[in-house]
Amino acid sequence: MQRLIIQTEKPGVFITSLYNFITNHLAMKFIILLAAAFLAAACSAFSQELYVNTEPASNMATHSLGVRVENQGYFNLVYKNRSTLEFMYGASKDLMVHGSIYQSDYYQGQQHFEGGSVYAKYRFLSVDSVQSHFRGALFAKASSINNPVTNQEISLDGDNSGLQGGVVFTKLMHKLALSASASYLHAFDNTGDNHLPTANAANAVAYTLSAGYLLFPKTYQNYNQVNVNLYVELLGKNNPGYGQNYLDAAPAVQLIINSVFRIDLSYRTALWNDMQRTSNNTYLVRLEYNLFNLF
Amino acid sequence: MKTLKIFVAVLAISISVAHAQFTKAEVQVSGLTCSLCSKATEKSLRTLNFIGDIKADLNRNVFVITFKKDASVNLDQISKKVQNAGFFVNNLKATFNFDNVKLTDDYFNYAGDTYHIVNVTDKALNGPIALTVVDKGFAPAAVYKKYSNAAADNTNGKTGRIYHLAI
Repeated sequence: MQRLIIQTEKPGVFITSLYNFITNHLAMKFIILLAAAFLAAACSAFSQELYVNTEPASNMATHSLGVRVENQGYFNLVYKNRSTLEFMYGASKDLMVHGSIYQSDYYQGQQHFEGGSVYAKYRFLSVDSVQSHFRGALFAKASSINNPVTNQEISLDGDNSGLQGGVVFTKLMHKLALSASASYLHAFDNTGDNHLPTANAANAVAYTLSAGYLLFPKTYQNYNQVNVNLYVELLGKNNPGYGQNYLDAAPAVQLIINSVFRIDLSYRTALWNDMQRTSNNTYLVRLEYNLFNLF
Repeated sequence: MKTLKIFVAVLAISISVAHAQFTKAEVQVSGLTCSLCSKATEKSLRTLNFIGDIKADLNRNVFVITFKKDASVNLDQISKKVQNAGFFVNNLKATFNFDNVKLTDDYFNYAGDTYHIVNVTDKALNGPIALTVVDKGFAPAAVYKKYSNAAADNTNGKTGRIYHLAI
């Protein structure tokens, strides 16, 4: 009752609370609905591990190249967005590398080139059988970014210069694919005399949990059928010693055309957050094309 | 007349050589379900110059490979290409044409390599026969361990790599 009175007295707060209530509950309903869909589909479908917001423990085929064009952004009074160009290459059967460059208007009034990152993943464990596997991989990432540091979140995807190292395990079963990762991040000062504020955490722990399954086709006839995959991913970060945490849910839909062209659509929203960062709600659109046996 | 005799003799030899060969193989690949993964595997296999055609069963992850006539088939390369795509050979059943092939004990030669049939039957081997490779890289651990005793080789006078096959 007291809360209601306070809200009535401050219309701005009331609207914000109402907005948060609706968006949070809609997000929760959506997640519950997707979880139910997962369980229902688990009896009849094959799973997928071509995750949208994380990487699985599996790699790309040797000597194949993936090219990604990505845009993500948010509306928060004004519209801001970031574009990413990413190249992925299968160096050997166990090693793949990524290289990315970023551009956004997150920290400035107009779009500008922010810097880049490199990523490598080494698969060290493969326990495979027909239509199932359990795999483990180590990964590392390094980034060089020229933005001012205004966030408490350490992110190597355009926001911070830094290093990341971690481990990921992926279990593909006939009916469900699950993937979990844990990693450690360290931020440096950004380039262009953009220092990491002394009050900010320089280290963070990130963890993810992802699930996915193939909705269509129910039965394969050929390579040209459009595959529809659904994903739910949980993405969390913690700044140890600073009491700063967040946990996001990121449901995603994916289309794969001709078994080479991928379209990813995802909406990432905070389940809880007490960390200063760019946005609590972000959309993601990505196009990916795969070229096999390039070299 | 002499020329004709030589021609017939050469023809006979070339036919008998041509007959003794791998004609096709059924390869089941483990560790994948999606068509993108299957496509990566098929594209990797197609870089082998002795492969003529591939038909994929995307639901069972089986690739039916037809080999080019008279091309030297290398089974190790098939396993390597599947692993390069990120997966493993769960089962490889190759059809070999035994016409005019002489088995010494349980061994025969093909394209410089030696093939050991580990569960040879009494019946004579003639015509096309399907053989399952039971070596590491071609079968799950349970299978290649099961045949490890039977696969013990008499290496005397054997050339190249020794494959182990089950009928």
